[in-house]
Amino acid sequence: MALRQTELRPLGKPVGRKEDPRLIRGKGRYVDDIMLPNMLHLCVVRSPYAHARIRRIDASAALAAPGVKLVLTGEDLAKMNLAWMPTLAGDRQMVLATEKVLFQYQEVAAVVAETRAQAEDAAQLIEVDYEPLPVVVDPFYALSPEAPILRDDKEKKSNLIFHWEAGDREETEAIFREAPVVVKQDVRFPRVHPSPLEPCGCVADYDTARSKLTFYVTSQAPHAHRTVLALVSGLPEHQIHVISPDVGGGFGNKVPVYPGYVCAIVASLKLGVPVKWIETRTENIASTHFARDYHMTAEIAAREDGKVLALRVKTVADHGAFDGAADPSKFPAGLFSIVTGSYDFKAAFVEVDGVHTNKPPGGVAYRCSFRVTEAAYLIERVMDVLARRLGMDPAELRMRNFIRKEQFPYRSPTGWVYDSGDYEKTLTLALERIGYEELRREQAERRARGEFMGIGISTFTEIVGAGPSHTFDILGLKMFDSAQIRVHPTGKVIARLGVRHQGQGHETTFAQIIAEELGLTVDDVLIEEGDTDTAPYGLGTYASRSTPTAGGAAALCARRIRQKARKIAAHLLEVGEDDVVWDGTAFSVQGLPGRSVTMKDVAFAAYTNVPEGLEPGLEASYYYDPPNLTFPNGAYIAVVDIDKGTGAVKVRRFLAVDDCGTVINPMIVEGQVHGGLTEGFAIAFMQDIPYDADGNCLAPNWMDYLVPTALDTPHWETDRTVTPSPHHPIGAKGVGESPNVGSPAAFVNAVVDALSPLGVEHIDMPIYPWKVWSILRAHGVTE
Amino acid sequence: MRTYQGEFTIEKPRSQVWAFVTNPHQMGPCIPDLIELNVESENRFRTLVKVGIGPIRGKFDLTSELTVEEPGRSASLSIRGGGMGSGVDMKAAMELSDTDGGTLLKWRCDTVISGPIASLGGRLIDGEARKITEKVFANLKTALLSAPDEEALAAEGDASAADEAAAAEAEEGTTAVKDV
Repeated sequence: MALRQTELRPLGKPVGRKEDPRLIRGKGRYVDDIMLPNMLHLCVVRSPYAHARIRRIDASAALAAPGVKLVLTGEDLAKMNLAWMPTLAGDRQMVLATEKVLFQYQEVAAVVAETRAQAEDAAQLIEVDYEPLPVVVDPFYALSPEAPILRDDKEKKSNLIFHWEAGDREETEAIFREAPVVVKQDVRFPRVHPSPLEPCGCVADYDTARSKLTFYVTSQAPHAHRTVLALVSGLPEHQIHVISPDVGGGFGNKVPVYPGYVCAIVASLKLGVPVKWIETRTENIASTHFARDYHMTAEIAAREDGKVLALRVKTVADHGAFDGAADPSKFPAGLFSIVTGSYDFKAAFVEVDGVHTNKPPGGVAYRCSFRVTEAAYLIERVMDVLARRLGMDPAELRMRNFIRKEQFPYRSPTGWVYDSGDYEKTLTLALERIGYEELRREQAERRARGEFMGIGISTFTEIVGAGPSHTFDILGLKMFDSAQIRVHPTGKVIARLGVRHQGQGHETTFAQIIAEELGLTVDDVLIEEGDTDTAPYGLGTYASRSTPTAGGAAALCARRIRQKARKIAAHLLEVGEDDVVWDGTAFSVQGLPGRSVTMKDVAFAAYTNVPEGLEPGLEASYYYDPPNLTFPNGAYIAVVDIDKGTGAVKVRRFLAVDDCGTVINPMIVEGQVHGGLTEGFAIAFMQDIPYDADGNCLAPNWMDYLVPTALDTPHWETDRTVTPSPHHPIGAKGVGESPNVGSPAAFVNAVVDALSPLGVEHIDMPIYPWKVWSILRAHGVTE
Repeated sequence: MRTYQGEFTIEKPRSQVWAFVTNPHQMGPCIPDLIELNVESENRFRTLVKVGIGPIRGKFDLTSELTVEEPGRSASLSIRGGGMGSGVDMKAAMELSDTDGGTLLKWRCDTVISGPIASLGGRLIDGEARKITEKVFANLKTALLSAPDEEALAAEGDASAADEAAAAEAEEGTTAVKDV
């Protein structure tokens, strides 16, 4: 416990995580740990076909099986008006399939039995008579006129979900017509899965006597889930109690409402006992929401000296059978329009087509603010293509095109207002720390010897803190966030927040913010989240929004407490309120340094000795609607060596320099960066969810969908610059996603750089050794 | 879709081979790991077979239907069904022709597999499918060769005697090629 922090002014210090003693010792309490009397278990029956008509479902054998209490089909749900439910993108999704299935592993029926094993055995006995239909897996084919229309329930008879544009088409076209240099590149960001360690699950417990539903669920957004459940089920919202206990990782995967949740609730309502549903790993990968799956084409118009002028982007986004993408409703392609990145483009035009295919629905913000990862990857890849075309060093090209620090607040050609940044400083630090000049010299020497060494740079701008209510909502719910602080008489604090962490260290981070604002220690503050009966309404934790939104709410709520505390302090100090000063640890009298009272003194007085006319007690709540998003940035450099014999890529060094504004806890920031880099590494080199022509998911397990272990993971070097956000109460910007957003491009740029002597301009992720080996062999480098 | 195909020669006259392969009572038992055979009509039979591919293990309930295209020469067999949440849809075609000292049997099988078998056992399917088809024809060959020439049609066709060793021996000449 060497890192235990008890001093005052804890902000910016590496305070040991308050949640770790519980989580590391296996004392966390997850949904699957919940055992209730008479609890039954639910198992979902899933479609083996990607596209098929359901002719008949015969559940009689399953109903007769040992321990079985209930079998639910789409027809049962239809009677309760629950066969369909809304998705996050405002589409509708089948809870249990009726008439036809649209993707493999789609939910077709649910079996409830006394034990999980009985439910699974009985699920095998359900006979479903399918008539296979033609399968559409390619989104480009889905857009062609000969493709079968997948969604006959929709009014518009087409597989096109939406066409979305941002920027100025005419201005962009005009620049492209005149531009001396134009580069173009097709880039694919594969379909990947967040794969949290704990899959999704729930326990639905409907109390018939009190008409109250208690719903334990692996949720990143318990309040939003409660509202959606109320809208779907017809139960009044105050009779739904959502509890999100410890959650073993979310990464966007635990934001949506899944059919299994609805089935468990219906089963509990019908049977009057608790019903548990916990996914298997295969169900998690093959049916819950995926991420990415963007087919992108970018063109840059530039001058011969490297100055970029305009950007043109065309994208096809595969959203699967239902549009379940987690994007604010104003942005069908999320924040993809930040694709101009860190560079000062005069003009840009971005278009995205969302398409239905016979694949699972989704498109979650996997450690990414709604499609920023795709955007950052694209621009960083294509900037390298431009550098190569011009014969220019990629670092130099970036330096020439950065938005200058005096240009902030900067309005991008697609309409975003970047709050602050100093991109040159971040990249300069990265280049110095990695020894860039020296590495390039080494590379030239190795190339002369026929070796393949690559250096990849990615200088990205993130856009996080989804919140400003004028532009952001999910299903119409505005994305502010909230905090409620109560100071007890002894000066101990309980603070409740509307977000819900899944391992990010909120219990420590928010305690630091509140302790800092109130002049208390981190140990004085207890943070509670995830219980809708006690926490104030909030939109949850994803898209790196916790610190920018709930962190702002916590700071402002604490300041509200301090305002009242000042009145009480003035009373205790027997001076006028205007004479009281706060020095960060105590209240004192202006010009009289000897006399002071601490927050603890004030807290006691709040319950024992308040001035006349002042309400007793010391508590406040704050709903923070941020004025703008925050824009963290970073400069990442990867150094790789390629084994000529096997095509294996070894990441020799990786340096991440992040600028996430004010740092609350450097240790937690570093941990977030390590985790995000490891995920970015996995995406660049290992992960993809492929489908065969029949729509079979070919990687629905951790044998085929790889998750890096400590042995696979490179050593990470980190550093930072600090450019506080000018509009955030404490200047923090958020960091959780940056490493996942910024790193794939650095890895791929490094591999392409290594292979550039062979004329290679681009390789699509994941960069499996066989891909590299095939290139080497095609060029006669290896046999 | 996966396609497997191959050919082999049997030292028996074409008429006898034809009679055998178009008789469900005789063909059915050639299926390896057969648990149950129900002949519903002369060209339709149901089988319950034991399947194990990678992590998936269980029973498949398959309905097979025989269509004669050119008597004595070509026929096709459609097999549909599934189990353990997986589906199988196969179209097998056989063509017989006379060859030196016997009959040449050419076969081709288009297979669509869906569900966990395809997605979890994906990497193992080709090997497993080859093993199964090889066994089917090995059993068939053994059964045919052991049947008395004259009473071929009347034979019970009990191929259970076709043990692994005999199967392995008869294997040569069978090839399985994946097209797609």
